[in-house]
Amino acid sequence: MKGRYEDENLNWIPLLIGFVFLLPFFLQFATYSYKYYLFVLNMAGIYIILTVGLDLLSGYTGLISLGHAAFLAIGAYTSAILVDQAGIPFFLSLIISPLIAGLFGFVIGFPALRITGMYLGLTTMGFGFIVKRLIISLREWTHGAGGLDVSSPVLFGYTIKSDWDNYYLIFTCVIIAVVLGRRLAKSKIGRAFMAIRDSEQAAEASGINLAKYKMLAFFISGLFAGFAGVLFAHTNHFISTDHFDMLLSIYFIIMVLVGGAGSIYGAVLGTLFIVLLDNLYVPMMEDWIHSFLNTNAGDIQLLIFGLIMFLFIIFQPMGLYGMWLKVRIYWKIFPFNPRKRFT
Amino acid sequence: MKKVIGILVILGLIFIGCGKQAPAPGVTDTEILIGNIQDLSGPMKELGAVLPAGSNVYFRYINEAGGVHGRKIKMIVEDHQYNPQKSVVAAKKLIEKDQVFCLYHVIGTSTCEAIRPILAETGTPLIAPATQSGTMSDLSRPAGNLIFHTDTGYDRQTVILVEYILKDNPNAKIGIIYQDDDYGENVLKGAAEAEASQGISIQKEAYQRGATDFAGQVGNMIKGGATHVIIAGVVKEPIIVMKTAAAMGYSPQFFGTSPTMDHRVALAAGPAGEGFIAANFANLWTSDAPAAVKYRELCEQYEVPKAYMGMYHFYGYMTAKVLVEGLKRAGKNPTRKRLVNGLETLNKWESGAFPPLTYNSKDHAGTESVILVQVKDGVQTVITDWID
Repeated sequence: MKGRYEDENLNWIPLLIGFVFLLPFFLQFATYSYKYYLFVLNMAGIYIILTVGLDLLSGYTGLISLGHAAFLAIGAYTSAILVDQAGIPFFLSLIISPLIAGLFGFVIGFPALRITGMYLGLTTMGFGFIVKRLIISLREWTHGAGGLDVSSPVLFGYTIKSDWDNYYLIFTCVIIAVVLGRRLAKSKIGRAFMAIRDSEQAAEASGINLAKYKMLAFFISGLFAGFAGVLFAHTNHFISTDHFDMLLSIYFIIMVLVGGAGSIYGAVLGTLFIVLLDNLYVPMMEDWIHSFLNTNAGDIQLLIFGLIMFLFIIFQPMGLYGMWLKVRIYWKIFPFNPRKRFT
Repeated sequence: MKKVIGILVILGLIFIGCGKQAPAPGVTDTEILIGNIQDLSGPMKELGAVLPAGSNVYFRYINEAGGVHGRKIKMIVEDHQYNPQKSVVAAKKLIEKDQVFCLYHVIGTSTCEAIRPILAETGTPLIAPATQSGTMSDLSRPAGNLIFHTDTGYDRQTVILVEYILKDNPNAKIGIIYQDDDYGENVLKGAAEAEASQGISIQKEAYQRGATDFAGQVGNMIKGGATHVIIAGVVKEPIIVMKTAAAMGYSPQFFGTSPTMDHRVALAAGPAGEGFIAANFANLWTSDAPAAVKYRELCEQYEVPKAYMGMYHFYGYMTAKVLVEGLKRAGKNPTRKRLVNGLETLNKWESGAFPPLTYNSKDHAGTESVILVQVKDGVQTVITDWID
């Protein structure tokens, strides 16, 4: 019998993991402002965990969510309250807080049973606003809109404080999340998700319990987002309702789409691409444009970002992962490429 | 023998410590690099252009006069779109990549709060955050000893306004319309303080940031019978509230916190805004205060566009003055520590438009007084001296 991963070449994965763990050393060697780059990578790492979960929901199950920043917020606030106010160790919070965010996902899963498409998008968006209101009104624990200071994570008696430490904490979690996401996508659950995405009727006819799997998709997605939220709170050391606005949810959807919906690696690539674009490349381009054009800095940044997105969706609707697949197939069957397929 | 080696090692360490004094980041022989984070493309972008422009008027004046101890001041402005996460990224970039000497005039409350951990980690001072939230001068918070606040907090402003109202009208029923965010949070704190000290109860109505309809809040004020209403909004909110009240035939005495001090409030509210009293933490830019006179002179000299000149431009100018004073006091070889120490020597320092500023190791609030400005015949008129 053929194994689940036999059609894939997995030899490069240890290499990739090795690279991820050595990257900070390269950066430190290459530039003395490596802390800034580490910080940007840390942010990307946190978002990767979330987008992997979002991809399972939107890419695999076909349920759109415009409220994922809210799940991030729930994870972040729950952990901040559990660790700093209830005195629960960080390690336990890393398990409990995602579960709570997952439960919220479960609840949001109910309307998803009846509505789809744009309407589900609107509902989840509304959920985002509700969570924000909720955080503000639970003033006793959350300090309302004023924001909350969060302590550094303590694991096995070691306080994780610097960008360097955060990097290893976050990217260990990223690797766990990506592996988990891939295993899930290839399991019975993942196949059920894809069946629901492709045709609900056909899936139901094949004996898939729609209600169960849709709610499970929301639960799992909330779990990943909550997990990201815990890391977000404890590596950022300050959270407020302003951190988790609607725009962030839309950014997450863009990350999944740009990477290529329906592939875990796509979510990873898309997130890295958007975060690096937003924080490194666009400012670079902006500096270049400023050298001959005198404009207001902020405006042009958004313009460049929008333009790249626009071109990307038009010319690469399959996303970054689709692009990679094309290149790979091209390489495999070279020189017998049918000309039309690759133009 | 061991003793001798021990002494030699200690001496060696001392020599290393003295001899190789690392230069402070952002300071060269000719230049001091300052980081500023503004909202250039978010909800407050109209301020994002004006505030640094005001600061640059003063920096240009100082640079043309030879700079601070022979060093010219250069300011880098980053954009945070009024988003705390972007603010953190920008601060990280300014401190780690551009290696600025200090941060200055970062706008917004949550955006300033969000960068506290970075300030604390790197020991970078933040001078004159462009927010009036009283939480900025809270020394118990992270990096509290590195932040120097120039403005009177919203909480303090609220207390002063309530006391001012009750002084003349002991039976006044006071209402507050506040923004449901960190700004409003700080106003509520002041309201709670005032309630406790005065033994009154204040009617509170919230609105969401960005709201344009205030009929509900005004209606509730009418129901509650408030005779004096404090509007903790920015520019648009007091205008709409006062116009709504006029349309509903309700005419309490309206007050506002410092962001409502903008001259556009008087312009746009028209007759409905007549008599509106706003608290402010600085003298008017049109006044005869020495700094205001100098400001108008420099603006004319540098041909600053008329559209820029105003309260916020002047605010940028004045905070630049505080920063430069700190840099002067930091001495010929400034370090971040010396900047903090230098600013902490300010004692009832007269800036020419702010109330006298005082900083020391136990107090980074700078000032706790405001002046009240009333709209009379459509023109803003100062009606009190500094009150605290």
